[in-house]
Amino acid sequence: MEYLTHHLLEASASKDPSKEALVHGEQRLSYADLDALSTRLAHALIDAGLRRMDRVGIYLEKSVDQVISFLAVSKAGGVFVPINHLLFPEQVGHILQDCRPQAIVTSNAHLESCRQVLDDNADLGVVFTATESAVSLENKQVLNVKEILARENDEPVHTRAISNDLGAILYTSGSTGRPKGVMLSHANLIAGSRIASTYLNIHAADRIVSIVPFSFDYGLNQLLTGLEHGATVVLLNFHFPNEVVNCLIREKITGLAGVPSFWSLLAQPSSSLHRHEFPDLRYITNTGGAMPQPVLAKLRESLPTTDVVLMYGLTEAFRSTYLPPQELDRRPTSMGRAIPDTEIFVINEDGTLCEPGEVGELIHRGPTVSLGYWGNAEATNRVLRSNPLAPPELRDTERVCYSGDLVEMDEDGFLYFRGRRDSAIKSAGYRISATEIESVLSSIEHVREAAAIGIPDDVLGQAIVGIVVAQDGETLDPGEVLGFCASKMPRYMTPRRIEIVSDLPKTAHGKIDYQSLRSRITGAGVSPA
Amino acid sequence: MSETGKKIREFVISRFPLAKQGRLDDEQDLLQSGIIDSLGILEVVNYLSEEFSVVVSDEELLPENFSSISKLTSFTERKWQITGASD
Repeated sequence: MEYLTHHLLEASASKDPSKEALVHGEQRLSYADLDALSTRLAHALIDAGLRRMDRVGIYLEKSVDQVISFLAVSKAGGVFVPINHLLFPEQVGHILQDCRPQAIVTSNAHLESCRQVLDDNADLGVVFTATESAVSLENKQVLNVKEILARENDEPVHTRAISNDLGAILYTSGSTGRPKGVMLSHANLIAGSRIASTYLNIHAADRIVSIVPFSFDYGLNQLLTGLEHGATVVLLNFHFPNEVVNCLIREKITGLAGVPSFWSLLAQPSSSLHRHEFPDLRYITNTGGAMPQPVLAKLRESLPTTDVVLMYGLTEAFRSTYLPPQELDRRPTSMGRAIPDTEIFVINEDGTLCEPGEVGELIHRGPTVSLGYWGNAEATNRVLRSNPLAPPELRDTERVCYSGDLVEMDEDGFLYFRGRRDSAIKSAGYRISATEIESVLSSIEHVREAAAIGIPDDVLGQAIVGIVVAQDGETLDPGEVLGFCASKMPRYMTPRRIEIVSDLPKTAHGKIDYQSLRSRITGAGVSPA
Repeated sequence: MSETGKKIREFVISRFPLAKQGRLDDEQDLLQSGIIDSLGILEVVNYLSEEFSVVVSDEELLPENFSSISKLTSFTERKWQITGASD
């Protein structure tokens, strides 16, 4: 019976051990290899003192070692916390402080750049490095992943964990505050895999390319659907769109997932996508924002035999809706309807069901509703609440997810996105909190106060603009402010431009009035920096 | 350094703020260091087209041409010689 995340791997490994499971550049691992290597690392985790429910941060680039680490942590009964490799010490430090992992798996390069935040974290006892050469850290045990994987310790690992146990924490931003850790049980992860592989019809012959980070639920789900069905997952880090096109051809890829900015990149007029045929490519999926219509049209022209599946979801409840490809011509702007085994309803301010065509909040009910935010019951209770439509006797038996997204449903049950309830910024597929950018801006010398907003952008969805006010008698240079931001945040969080203003508009409660700030910045016709 | 090189350098520094941190060496790897990401490449391509009338084909999008200021400069100057384009 498969009820823990790594059981998906084990079941496929026992069915067809020699089947290709994972590809990364020249590295090719069979299901048997992946099973054995993750068992070796699981033993090492347990030997290092990892107990059930202990967290393990995995701060690596997309790689075979990263996948082995997720599975090893699951085998050892722990909780894996994927940390986007693009994050800087500032953001990594927050994650480590928040979920207090007992171990971290990382590379020497990350280890060097994050030495201080690792040193500061007293709970963190063991550091696994996936790089060959040894380094040392004060007060920490440093173990080498390469050496561990070479030890032939393939005795099965036993854990008492059950499917209700926490399996993973994925960090995501809201509209305010620091990123919060969304807690996913093994049952959540497995339900997500079953559901997505049902509507995408994933099977053993599939070869899925993984570009989306595993710190996104969508990226992680791709891996799990592949493992569940004994398919092949091809990992790809890229800089140029032609690297993706070459990979599609070379690896005979059948499934490709991306966020809107990725498709804009791939559909550029110069892209070699338009000069090749992709008979193997069965489907592509989009999530993380609406795909711009001109991009969608170009992709469909260049990929005439490929299904385009548009999806919508938020980490707190995994995916919520998908648009079946055969509906694309009839409803190209729809975000689709509920994924299998999931109920989506739209409710208005009074908490009652909306009529077709009436705008209300999207509510998600189903087995992928997460366990809430790690260590933050208050925020959890805002997003996960009892089902307003359930009879009173059942109201406390489960929680549904209030998405914060405003949508409307048509007569046939298809949904259309109408806006966000809050001011979260969505750029390059990432949900970014204005607070996080503002805290960096405010830490700059001579900045009195700061704000960050998202303004419409063809490729990014929204581009971030930082707005700063100088202290009395001081001057600020936009270029220097940008330079400081870039040294503290990954590029996707760094503002595209900086505006220096004399004051920020405020609401009656003295908070930043984002709406009037946004119209001031977008309406003034300011030239880019 | 040539005029082209200077312009490209200025562009990279103004668009990719991480380049401002420390002294940007003309040979420094812009891709591995994370200064330019995949979306940033798109901005560089648009810049080369607007500033130098250099049209970059997908096949030319390679680390050999894009991974440092000096490689970008010689790529741009080479393209001029082939196409006769100029600013």
